[in-house]
Amino acid sequence: MTSLPSPVIGAPGRPSWKSEAVGVALAFLLMALLPLVFGDTYTRHILIMVFIYAIVASNWDLSLGYGGVFNFGHLALFSIGVYAYGLLTKAAGVDPWVSLVASGVIATVAAVLVTIPILRLKGIYIILVTFGFAQLVMQVILSQSDVTGGTQGMVRIPGLYLFDHNMIRDGKIGYFYIALALLFLSTVFLRVIVRSRTGASIVALRDNEEYAISRGISLARQRIITLAASAFFTGIAGAFYAAYQRNASIDVFGMSLATIILSMVLLGGTSTIYGAIVASFVLTIFSEAMADFGPWRPIITAVLIIVVMLAYPSGLSGMIRSIWNALAGRLKRPDAALAGKTEERTAA
Amino acid sequence: MGAFAEIMFGGLFQGSLYAMMAVGLALVWTTIGVFNFAHGVFMMLGAYVAWQFVSLGLPIAVALPVAVVVMAGVGWILQASVVRPLIGRPNIVLVVVITTLAAGSLIENGVLTLWGPRSKQLPSLLEGNTVIGGVGVSLHQIAIIIITPLILAALWAFLNHTRLGLALRAVAQNEDASQLVGLNVTALYGLAFAIAASLAGLAGIFMGGYRFMTPVMGSDPLLKALIVVVFGGISSISGPIFAAYLIGFFEAACSYYFGLYWTPALLFAVLILMLMVRPEGIFANQSRGLA
Repeated sequence: MTSLPSPVIGAPGRPSWKSEAVGVALAFLLMALLPLVFGDTYTRHILIMVFIYAIVASNWDLSLGYGGVFNFGHLALFSIGVYAYGLLTKAAGVDPWVSLVASGVIATVAAVLVTIPILRLKGIYIILVTFGFAQLVMQVILSQSDVTGGTQGMVRIPGLYLFDHNMIRDGKIGYFYIALALLFLSTVFLRVIVRSRTGASIVALRDNEEYAISRGISLARQRIITLAASAFFTGIAGAFYAAYQRNASIDVFGMSLATIILSMVLLGGTSTIYGAIVASFVLTIFSEAMADFGPWRPIITAVLIIVVMLAYPSGLSGMIRSIWNALAGRLKRPDAALAGKTEERTAA
Repeated sequence: MGAFAEIMFGGLFQGSLYAMMAVGLALVWTTIGVFNFAHGVFMMLGAYVAWQFVSLGLPIAVALPVAVVVMAGVGWILQASVVRPLIGRPNIVLVVVITTLAAGSLIENGVLTLWGPRSKQLPSLLEGNTVIGGVGVSLHQIAIIIITPLILAALWAFLNHTRLGLALRAVAQNEDASQLVGLNVTALYGLAFAIAASLAGLAGIFMGGYRFMTPVMGSDPLLKALIVVVFGGISSISGPIFAAYLIGFFEAACSYYFGLYWTPALLFAVLILMLMVRPEGIFANQSRGLA
């Protein structure tokens, strides 16, 4: 399998548990204060969407970046979350919060199911099968139009509730903090996994499959764990999306959404988790800033993605790292910049 | 008799279009080792370029070859801009997926801006209809059924009996060795993309002759081409061709007996089952090479 750049577990320079926890806590505290600055519901809506994208993208980074599994059915897991929530709350009348968690579980089960046919496959074939899986799920949802609404989608899906708090006329503050809390839980979950021994074995399988297997790592088990772990919060994000939008449409299977999320993963830099989250912010805000450009917006975004990927194949995190190295080199001693350059080359 | 003729005809017609698309995908994969997600957009662009020439007053017989040549150029440019700079990088497969997706989105939105969202249609290759075995068919579709195998045979002859074609196959088999014996690997990469793009463009022109063109018309054929290469095995040219016709017949039979609604779901179920049993494709051996 391909060797993607990643911080080596246990390598010198890897931040300690403590400093990482402090950094994450500070970042989320900062994000929690954002509604104080942005009072209008439109900006809050954009931020909620950023949080949803960030959850989906960072979970994709677990399977795609750390696992090296080209899972192109990731958005299908998100869509399964959307429809599972819609069906559970609307057709079965289950409590919204129970449905939210259940959607995550259903997405996880679906991920395990799709992992079975790809256990023996490599590289490009995984792309094809997972792509096929996504289409299969879409066709099933389309064909069961009695319950799913087919191409019409589902409307008036029950939203979430918080005690007696009015979720509709609160300037989106309720959904903002639920989304932020979900992103926080998902991020902690992902970072704990990738820093654990399981995470190390997943990376080992990606970097040198034969050697990892010879050292007693089970490819099948680790691959199922990787896909299942990446699915849980993706499904929950889908359920939250359905609860927030109050509707479910077949558009979530479209290539445009998959392309946006995939660009977030790759633009942020794979095997970082944080990169995908930062890229969700950058891409969404960039896209909003260009709202006046109309039809030119997707064109400019596409050019931007190509330029960044060509110049910095390890994404924004590689870009930041090389800029940091250059700055640090200028400030400290001249040969540090050189060291930073060689590090960048080995990382790429 | 009617059912048989309908399935035969539908299978041959759909199979022809799928084969033309899938061969291009397989060609790029075998020579460069990347997957071109802009392939569906090539198809769409070919149809629009041909439409532009037709609306300038050229007859379709002239517009078609001109558009195919233009598409070859587009393929070459795309390869040179978003694929070639990445060659040699360890994560090339993944990065090319995103760069070709982005390039596809760029072209798609460019077409939308340039030609507008209104549906367009190309003139047919041949006007008129006929009845074969109790089934009414248009001469345009008959022409496609006859022309496609000829083009694919020409491609096969090119790959097996010309120096350039053999060089392409050599690069597909062993890149380092090809470079050692003095083949211009970069140019051959460009050639593979150019051939793939012109085949896709041709398929688009064929399709534009009987169905309305939209900027997103290529996404569904790309999906079908993906299934075809999974079935046929991506590491050869003949495998996807056989698989394309097989899937064409399968689809025609399914939609005849089970209805159009269930056909895609059945197709994907068969696909996933087959991948569990024979991941490398029905007709493929595991080695990489064009044959």
